[in-house]
Amino acid sequence: MTQPAGVRERSIARRPDNVAPEAIPGMVRGVLPSRRQRWKVPLAFVVLLAGVAALAPVLAPFSPDPPANYDTLQYLSPSRAHPFGTDGVGRDVLSRVLFGSRISLSLAFASVALSLLLGTSYGAVAGLFGGATDRWLMRGLDVALSIPRLLLLLAVTAFWEDLPLSALIILLGTTGWFDIARLVRGEVQQLRRRDFIVAAQATGVRGMRMLRLHILPHLIPLLIVNATLSVAGTIALEAGLSYLGLGVQPPFPSWGNIMAEGSGGMASQWWLTVFPGMATVIAVLACHALGDALRDRFARDQVPA
Amino acid sequence: MNDHPSRDRSVDTPNTAGPVVRINTAATRLRALGQSVGSALVVAGAIATAGCGPKDTPAAVGDTGGTMVVVIPAEPRTLFPPRANGTQELAVIASVFDRLAEIGPELTTVGEAGFTPRLAERWSWATDSLSIAFTINPAARWHDGVPVRAEDVRYSFHVYTSDAVASEARALLGNVDSVSVRDSLTAVVWFKRRTPQQFMEATYSMFILPSHVLSTLPDSALTNAPFGRAPIGSGRFRFSAWEAGSRLEIVADTTNYRKRAVLDRVIWTFVPDLGAATVKLFAGEADFLEQVRPEAIAQVLATPTLRLESNLPLVYGFVGFNLNARRTAATAPAAPHPVFGDVRVRRALAMAVDRERMVRSVLDSMGMVAFGPAPRALIPDTSGLRPLGYNVAAAKALLDSAQWLDTNNDGIRERNGTALAFDLLVPSSSATRGKFATLLQAAWKEIGAKVSLLSQDPSALGPRLEARDFDAWMGGWQTNPGLQGTRQTWASKGTSNYQGYASPTFDAVLDSALTSFDVARTRGLWTRVLQQAIDDAPSVWLYEQRLPVAVHKRIRIPSLRADGWYASLADWSIDPAQRIDRDKIGLGVAR
Amino acid sequence: MVFVAATLAFLLLQLAPGDPVSAIADASNVPPELRAQWRAQQGFDQPVATQYVRWIGNIARGQLGHSTSQQRAVSAVIADRLPNTLLLMGLALGASLLFGAALGAWQATRAGSLTDRAVSFVSLVLYSVPEFWFALMLLFVFSYWIPVLPATGMTDAAMYGSMSTGERLWDRARHLVLPWTALTVMGTAIFARYQRVAMRDSLAEQFVRTARAKGLTTFLVNWHAWRTAMLPMITLAGLFFPALLTGAVFVERVFGWPGMGSALLTAINSRDYALVSASVIVGSAMTALGSLLADLLRALADPRVRRA
Repeated sequence: MTQPAGVRERSIARRPDNVAPEAIPGMVRGVLPSRRQRWKVPLAFVVLLAGVAALAPVLAPFSPDPPANYDTLQYLSPSRAHPFGTDGVGRDVLSRVLFGSRISLSLAFASVALSLLLGTSYGAVAGLFGGATDRWLMRGLDVALSIPRLLLLLAVTAFWEDLPLSALIILLGTTGWFDIARLVRGEVQQLRRRDFIVAAQATGVRGMRMLRLHILPHLIPLLIVNATLSVAGTIALEAGLSYLGLGVQPPFPSWGNIMAEGSGGMASQWWLTVFPGMATVIAVLACHALGDALRDRFARDQVPA
Repeated sequence: MNDHPSRDRSVDTPNTAGPVVRINTAATRLRALGQSVGSALVVAGAIATAGCGPKDTPAAVGDTGGTMVVVIPAEPRTLFPPRANGTQELAVIASVFDRLAEIGPELTTVGEAGFTPRLAERWSWATDSLSIAFTINPAARWHDGVPVRAEDVRYSFHVYTSDAVASEARALLGNVDSVSVRDSLTAVVWFKRRTPQQFMEATYSMFILPSHVLSTLPDSALTNAPFGRAPIGSGRFRFSAWEAGSRLEIVADTTNYRKRAVLDRVIWTFVPDLGAATVKLFAGEADFLEQVRPEAIAQVLATPTLRLESNLPLVYGFVGFNLNARRTAATAPAAPHPVFGDVRVRRALAMAVDRERMVRSVLDSMGMVAFGPAPRALIPDTSGLRPLGYNVAAAKALLDSAQWLDTNNDGIRERNGTALAFDLLVPSSSATRGKFATLLQAAWKEIGAKVSLLSQDPSALGPRLEARDFDAWMGGWQTNPGLQGTRQTWASKGTSNYQGYASPTFDAVLDSALTSFDVARTRGLWTRVLQQAIDDAPSVWLYEQRLPVAVHKRIRIPSLRADGWYASLADWSIDPAQRIDRDKIGLGVAR
Repeated sequence: MVFVAATLAFLLLQLAPGDPVSAIADASNVPPELRAQWRAQQGFDQPVATQYVRWIGNIARGQLGHSTSQQRAVSAVIADRLPNTLLLMGLALGASLLFGAALGAWQATRAGSLTDRAVSFVSLVLYSVPEFWFALMLLFVFSYWIPVLPATGMTDAAMYGSMSTGERLWDRARHLVLPWTALTVMGTAIFARYQRVAMRDSLAEQFVRTARAKGLTTFLVNWHAWRTAMLPMITLAGLFFPALLTGAVFVERVFGWPGMGSALLTAINSRDYALVSASVIVGSAMTALGSLLADLLRALADPRVRRA
């Protein structure tokens, strides 16, 4: 589920965990990584997933295209040779899922990068300029936020059928930056009141230089946390759109469209739906966990400030 | 003009796909266990709710009675017959409305052979054969009790050919000049020309509409009139209820002039998700699934309450090659396509495809290799046809002789600097055609041709084909009995001949085949027509497809007609010994 | 808001490639002159500005156009479908709020414990499952593998008409279970996550310490803290609307629930522009209404706001 807009900032701004470390039983402390280090586990997972996607051609046991002896390899249930089974034209589902991870993940990363760029610029401009500019920009943002993103995406995919991958990235990117803009604007507004900014202003630092040297560095924790959570949301969203046949188009494999191809035979070829679905859940979960852990970590760092 | 591109479900279920022969036995066993746990829970639930109130269950009498639940993926758009086109609409309409006469099970279209009376109890031909007088059955009543009259026939023809209604069936009525009313029970259909198929044109293309209900409305208001969601017909079923988004119900018309339908009621339930639709069938919530996906067939066979009925629709699939350069206006003198302009290349591409194996792989026992531009059920004689056999060596030699050679050793042939490469448009709605395309791509790579697959949404595919903006496409045509549509799809002036296939021989022989009154001579003519289309290879003639229906064992089906499974629906019945709860509802409680 | 959504829908319509008329019927069978006639009928041949003014005017008067996929007025489609969606979403929202608040508060009282962490992790997992896949799995398990619940629809297609009132209620409830579960489980996970943080913050507040110092029982202390912690939940419930709407689209599709979501998806498949636009407008209106309602509720519930 996509995270509700506007709520995130509250839990970031609030004070962090106030549970003393000694409250955790020693036994647990031994097993689980310490709280400060907790973000490393999901990070390792995310890196692993990205690595798997990058190395898909090396790791995949088979080609994602149909084999020559396709007619003897159709709909094989999972076995040692094909751990995730095969599909209707004899393709190895594990290989499809591995190659699909490249599309699903790179699509999510690319579109979130675009969202970050748009959202940060918009929010920073609103926060820095303030006044009427800020009011109008924020009003525009309210309007954009009032239209549920999925409906907008569905409407666009309905009108422009068979979008190429690049268009899908742009579409997801341009509809995903509203939350980020709002958070950045709030953060910039707070920063503006801080002593070091006032001091910098007094020494004549202005515009882009101010943004680059003094504002952006302080936004980075917020942006990282948000990017991670957005990636999670986007992976799930892409899977959903592709499942409906409106996202990534075959023959490119994406987790969503592998599931779409298999859903009609769910009763007999469950592996076509279950394995790509689990891959999606793991990727989304890893990103969510990383985002949560990083948020806790950054919040803790900010306490003394 | 009776063929239409198979863009909708009537031809190719989205995601209709390859076969399955293997079921996971462990999963089946587990499921059996689950079912027993499940039924225990259901029993517990039933006990918990028992005694909630009296149950109205009048017993069904004799062989009549019973309820059949049909699961369909898409809700009908309308039940106004002139504007209906998908099977999900025609199934209901053909049950609620009548034609003047009904085509026979052999789908013979020459003359009136095989036709049986419906609303018309008899008919007589004028001596010059330019008109037929239909006498309406005096017992026929609309479902609101008003008698059916000749005026209804005249009005129906008016509606079907009205500009404001824009019925797709209008093209089929092109040879009908007018309909006049001789007396209240005699309608006379007048033709422009004498043709072998004129009886079919007058009867098959048109359901008779109640003029007393509709003629008060202007034609432009008909399409959106409430009638389209609550129709009044004269068929053996009457319309009962349509709950938007969930279900549609018809019930037996007990006072019908042709006897009531045997079943009490048929219910269509709309389930957009294919997975959920099959689950509904396996779980016993539904009795009938129209197009079973090939991979679900083994599962149907393994389910004790279900059986498969064979159904061979009048459909054939092919890979159409654009013979002219892309984007050439249909009227302009066309430059030949750089690849497909050469018949040797087309023949080589056809010979490089192991159609037997490919069809078996994608459609399993549900598929057959197509002969040519017609489904075998409508080809009078297939014995004389010589297909282009699978022969990779010969295909390669043919390309060599056409100067397509791989000079730079990249695996792709070139000629004069042009690579042997082309795009193949694949309708994204059809998993079957998607699978064929994937396999064709691999087969053509073997002989040095590079194919890019372009998945196209059905609504985007049509305009591209019309603009001739394509190299090759995965096509499929649904045909009507009589094959007149071949003119539209493959003759050089045909409006849907997207390939730009233009063979004077083909055109001439086709014209003779369609206009000859001599049945014996027609057989030979059709062989020549099809052989010409095979030899010129404007397309790879790929597959025909059985679309079996899955049906609950207790339902008895006399026969399935190739142009629509629902043709005999009013004669279907339930085995009295196997009635289940929903068969005992009776007629009284239509909601 | 609705005005903006309407404008946006109009822009989409205008920018969309291809001819809206070609979507109305399979264009290949329709002669060009007839198509021109349809264009005129629908007003597609007029200047864009004229069309826009007419479009906004029509929407303001509640005339949302004509649905080509259902051959009737869009407003009739909405009247049929919206109540079903609202029923499903309302029940899911209520239950999510209730379960989520309870679970989150319970976790907060034992924050940091092993159970808290385990529950947090489970809710994170549930929160990460795409709803269409979760729905498919529910369907597969409870309708096919262990067939205890009906797969699709709101009522039994055949038997409902001949049931007594009690049986009808039971039948409706059975059909509601799976789609409701699919939406509620994820909603609960979200609410629990936020409630846990809010409750923990609230437990650390000054007044709670005072209450504790006064010697109130743990239960009463928690009760007071919980009441404060519920306030952000109300805001969240308002903001949760778009997410719930997203979930409903997928869940309705899988379980064949006859709501706005499944109508929208059918409309998309058949290029029914009027119904797609209207769905966007209705969805935006629901979102705006949701946050407005949340603001009002919060004002009612918060004594500080109420007094001011």
